[in-house]
Amino acid sequence: MGTKSGRLGAMAIAGALAFGVAACGGGSDSSGGTSTSGANAKPLRIGASLPLTGEFSEPGKAAQQGYKVWQDTINAKGGLLGRKVQLVIKDDASNQNTVVSDYNALISNDKVDLLLGTFSSLLNLPASAVAERARMLYVEPAGGNPDIFSRGYKMIFFSQQATADHQGDVWANWLVGLPADKKPKTAAYPTLDDPFAAPTSAGIEKILKAGGIQTVYRKTYTADTKNFDAIANAVKAKNPDLVVAGNQFEDGVGLLRAFGKAGFSPKWLYQTNAPSFGDQYAQGVGAANTEGVFYGVSHSQEAKTPGNEEFVAKYKQMFGGENVPEDAADAYAAAEVLQATVEANKTVEKADQLKLADWLRGNSVDTILGPLSWNENGSPKGQFLVGQWQGGKPEIVLPQDAATSDTIVEGYKPAGQ
Amino acid sequence: MTQFVQTLILGVLVGGVYALLASGLTLIFGVMRVINIAHGAFLILAAFLTYSIWRATGLDPLASIVFTTPVMFAFGWVLYVTAVRRIRGAHMSSSVLLTFALALVVEGLLGVIWGNTSHSVRPAYFNESFTIGKLFLPKAQVYGFVLAALVLAALYAILTWTWLGRAIRASAVNPQGAALVGVNVGGVAALAFAVGVAATGAGGSIASVLYPFLPGSHYDWIARLLAIVVLGGLGSLPGAAIGAIVLGVAEAMTVTYISPSWATAVPYVIIFVVLLVRPQGLLGARLREDVAPA
Repeated sequence: MGTKSGRLGAMAIAGALAFGVAACGGGSDSSGGTSTSGANAKPLRIGASLPLTGEFSEPGKAAQQGYKVWQDTINAKGGLLGRKVQLVIKDDASNQNTVVSDYNALISNDKVDLLLGTFSSLLNLPASAVAERARMLYVEPAGGNPDIFSRGYKMIFFSQQATADHQGDVWANWLVGLPADKKPKTAAYPTLDDPFAAPTSAGIEKILKAGGIQTVYRKTYTADTKNFDAIANAVKAKNPDLVVAGNQFEDGVGLLRAFGKAGFSPKWLYQTNAPSFGDQYAQGVGAANTEGVFYGVSHSQEAKTPGNEEFVAKYKQMFGGENVPEDAADAYAAAEVLQATVEANKTVEKADQLKLADWLRGNSVDTILGPLSWNENGSPKGQFLVGQWQGGKPEIVLPQDAATSDTIVEGYKPAGQ
Repeated sequence: MTQFVQTLILGVLVGGVYALLASGLTLIFGVMRVINIAHGAFLILAAFLTYSIWRATGLDPLASIVFTTPVMFAFGWVLYVTAVRRIRGAHMSSSVLLTFALALVVEGLLGVIWGNTSHSVRPAYFNESFTIGKLFLPKAQVYGFVLAALVLAALYAILTWTWLGRAIRASAVNPQGAALVGVNVGGVAALAFAVGVAATGAGGSIASVLYPFLPGSHYDWIARLLAIVVLGGLGSLPGAAIGAIVLGVAEAMTVTYISPSWATAVPYVIIFVVLLVRPQGLLGARLREDVAPA
């Protein structure tokens, strides 16, 4: 006969497991989209599943906003191929299983005409497989993991400038080109186990190593890591000149806070994703602690790219706020790419989707992120912008023709340093 | 050596925070035999309340406990009376399903009210530390540790020395017997559940300073907190405190000396070891099941 507490303990584990399993199925459908009454033809339906809740709800919400801005913009101009555009957006709760069933449902139940991608490599990896199987064009606004493009897929296109492993190229090359007295000598790479953050960090390390910057710390942590004090302490013990943090949002904020607590500030700091979150980032780490942080970014509010001004104005009108999230701009650009190929080929028929994809392979599309073009495998050919926080504001510092600030702050200079 | 002592300190302090976060769960899970999967969601709710108070008034998140604790108490009482009471006679697994549903509802409501974006509370000390020689003690963790000690001591005192505490324990072990000697079993259970939820007021406030949070953050907490309660021994508040510190230190040591990517496995390894070697937990007492009515 077992003891009561033993059985209770087993029950606790069963509870935790049940919770985990049930959480996996935690997606809820929510159809967005505006009414299309008044349009002559049947509305053109475009389906996407986004992480509106859960871990990636922050970028998921921004992506939804980007899609909606595009929907309003194109409908105000008479729609796509003369048909009103109606978005069908589902919530995948940041879950890989749910995103697969969502895209299957969009294709077979909702019978949408076109698809748009979801947010982050983690979710685009399985979702793009669904689109590929159904031979539907799949333009993804995020999802720069290089593995996504090594599967021989024909239908996937990434609507940013470069894959994750090249996100930090421009910055890393700039850094190794600094004069010897300024160039950091040692670097630490604490990295989130994530299909976007990890290859970005690895791509940067490759360039910096070749440029003579020695790696003194490289460790990976998991997505459920909450306490960064011990990691910060371990990095501090190596006393690197430079920290390249492979982060998403919450862990990026947590790590920087932990550096503060440990009384450690590297001479140089690059974070892969968190600093591109604008106000949210400044609020999370304190604006005074952002001075000099570098990051890779795809979009600038001030960029003179075609349609950017109109997009920024429309975004602020619809959703308020001072800063337009990068993910909203990326989503808008994905929709622009889809729009370009549909307008060029004048079709959304299921049988013509491969034609839409082939057109993208052979052409360049002007977007608010700048001109985009693709390799055979759907990976983009361009280069990322380099951002830096200066005076409590995110600025673009490289490449020079896209820069919004004349100066580059040399090094990380948080409050009191 | 400094590195080892520093890691130990960080682990103990984080353990203190874990103990605070797990304190209400220990009471509800251990004493009432209700597995409250919604405990993490209640913590996040308290964190959001703390955030709103901080934004509106600038009040220190630790001081706002004075407001969040009664609010969470009332919330817990209402939940018990409207929902949890109905499954008291049912098998324990029902409480998993019910409280999971509650967690989803709370998560959804938080999203509607505060939005599905990340929030942080930043009092002046959010990234400051006390320093002793070469060692640093993050202030927020130190406050969390002290709060944990106070809250656990208060809960322990209530359970041990007050009539309410004896009534809670009596009705948990033998409801019919308790009713026979004049305990209002239903009312006492409502109070016990409410006290357990009220403890998230303090836990949520310190969590809001330490970790950015959004409505979905509760998923990250609940498995870790259940591990602490199992490790410490069900129904044992001192056990939960020790369990939390063991877990905190084990995680910090793993991060520093093995790899941060293995730290996530620590709670599960601990649960397996405890269930194999000492199923009643560190300080849990073995109970005979055949005499206690279900």
